[in-house]
Amino acid sequence: MSLLHALSEHLQSALASMRANLTAVLSTLTTITLTLLVLGAVLLAGQNLNRTLAGLERQVEVAAFLEPGADGPALLKHAEGMAGVAQAELLSPEQVLAEMTRDYPYTAEAAQLAGNPFPATLRLRVTSVDQTRVVAAAAGMLRGVESVEFGAGYVDQALGTLRTLRAAGGLLIGLLLGGTLFSILNAVQVSMYARRGEINVMRLLGARRSFVQGPHLIEGLLLGLGGAALAGIILLPVAGLLSARAAELVPALPLLQGTGPLLTLWLQLAALGAGVGLLGGWLASGRYLRELE
Amino acid sequence: MIHFDQVSLQYPSTRTLALSRVTTEVARGEFVYLIGHSGAGKSSFMSLLLKRALPTEGEVRVAGEPLNRYRGGRVSVLRRRMGIIFQENMLLPQLTAYQNVAFALRVTEAPRVSSLGTWNERVGTALRLVGLEHKRAALPRQLSQGEQQRVAIARAVVGAPALLLADEPTGNLDPENSRDVLRVLERVNESGTTVLVATHARELVESRRHRTLTLRRGELVRDDAEGGYEL
Repeated sequence: MSLLHALSEHLQSALASMRANLTAVLSTLTTITLTLLVLGAVLLAGQNLNRTLAGLERQVEVAAFLEPGADGPALLKHAEGMAGVAQAELLSPEQVLAEMTRDYPYTAEAAQLAGNPFPATLRLRVTSVDQTRVVAAAAGMLRGVESVEFGAGYVDQALGTLRTLRAAGGLLIGLLLGGTLFSILNAVQVSMYARRGEINVMRLLGARRSFVQGPHLIEGLLLGLGGAALAGIILLPVAGLLSARAAELVPALPLLQGTGPLLTLWLQLAALGAGVGLLGGWLASGRYLRELE
Repeated sequence: MIHFDQVSLQYPSTRTLALSRVTTEVARGEFVYLIGHSGAGKSSFMSLLLKRALPTEGEVRVAGEPLNRYRGGRVSVLRRRMGIIFQENMLLPQLTAYQNVAFALRVTEAPRVSSLGTWNERVGTALRLVGLEHKRAALPRQLSQGEQQRVAIARAVVGAPALLLADEPTGNLDPENSRDVLRVLERVNESGTTVLVATHARELVESRRHRTLTLRRGELVRDDAEGGYEL
């Protein structure tokens, strides 16, 4: 029997079985759709959060104040090669004073009285927030660097928030996928129970386990894909509208925009639905056959 | 074809000794009755052959191969070499007689064309053997109990098994239908298939005599080549 023919037979069996247990199938499909809908929303929120945090991370800087007479260009060259440094810039005392005067106009008056108090400064942008302390420590060790400053409190808080959000998101995604898996397990078991007479005959006639399991794998796959499709149909337009509205209200927020990222999200949901569906179908049918034997 | 060597079977859940040191052989092409009262061990004997149960002691062999070689996925290979008939015919109610017989070929993934013929030819031959070719389009509910059992026999033999096991095949049938079913089983046997029939139907065993094995409380107490019902 060719693979295509076998697949076609399994698909027909799966569809017949789903028609025969329509209530259970609709109940499972609703649960999967809702779960994947929440999962999609969490993934979308996570991606937007990551973009916002990445934007904030890019603004984290380490300032290394140079001793008078230090070789600024040499230190700049060295700093550019340091691990964790995304970008380095050397500011002369005059440039620092100009920046300070722009932000705090009274600084100019103080400088006129006591002279420019600012040293030449190396400004280092880090590749990620968790590299800040490493870069600051390395910069502080350089000959010619008097002292180093970075927003330690902000960095620690940002790192803590980032870790907590990522862990909570991971946990939520795990729970939602677990919920989807259990829904599919339940649906496939109901379907197998309804076909128990036929399955019993199949096993006694000498059908291979994989032959018996085939239609139920397809059933799980169809449920997962169906749930993902429905979730996408609901989620995508809503997410598109919300992000467009948010962009109008807060233009600075780097939110995902356009159909590309949303379609990618839909594909991710479909892949998750298909994977969980296949896994659920395989686990449920395997367990049922073990009980039968 | 069948070889039991000092075979015992004790069900762990109830500690019941279903079979006790049974030793016997059934040669290829034989027709054998397995008789005994209810609970004598007939179904346990069949369960061992089907690998639905494992012997507590001793060895069971079919066609020279010890059954303990058939594990996991290989059990399906063993079952494809046997035809099985139960008291309940286990036909699928939504399928016609033809489809029920073809079901056996489909689920065992038999080639559409082989030296035994096409699926269509094989199903036709099996239905002809049981005298029901004219009812190939009938659903099980449109057939009598005896006809349903004959369709079940056709389904069991369509794969050309070397061994046919029948567990109380006439248990739900009246005497006339029982005789019909038995005649069909004899025809299957005449085509070279070894047939083992577990039954407690005295008149059947008396009317058409074949070698008879008698079980009593799990022990093989009689092996009579002349046949006859004596418990």
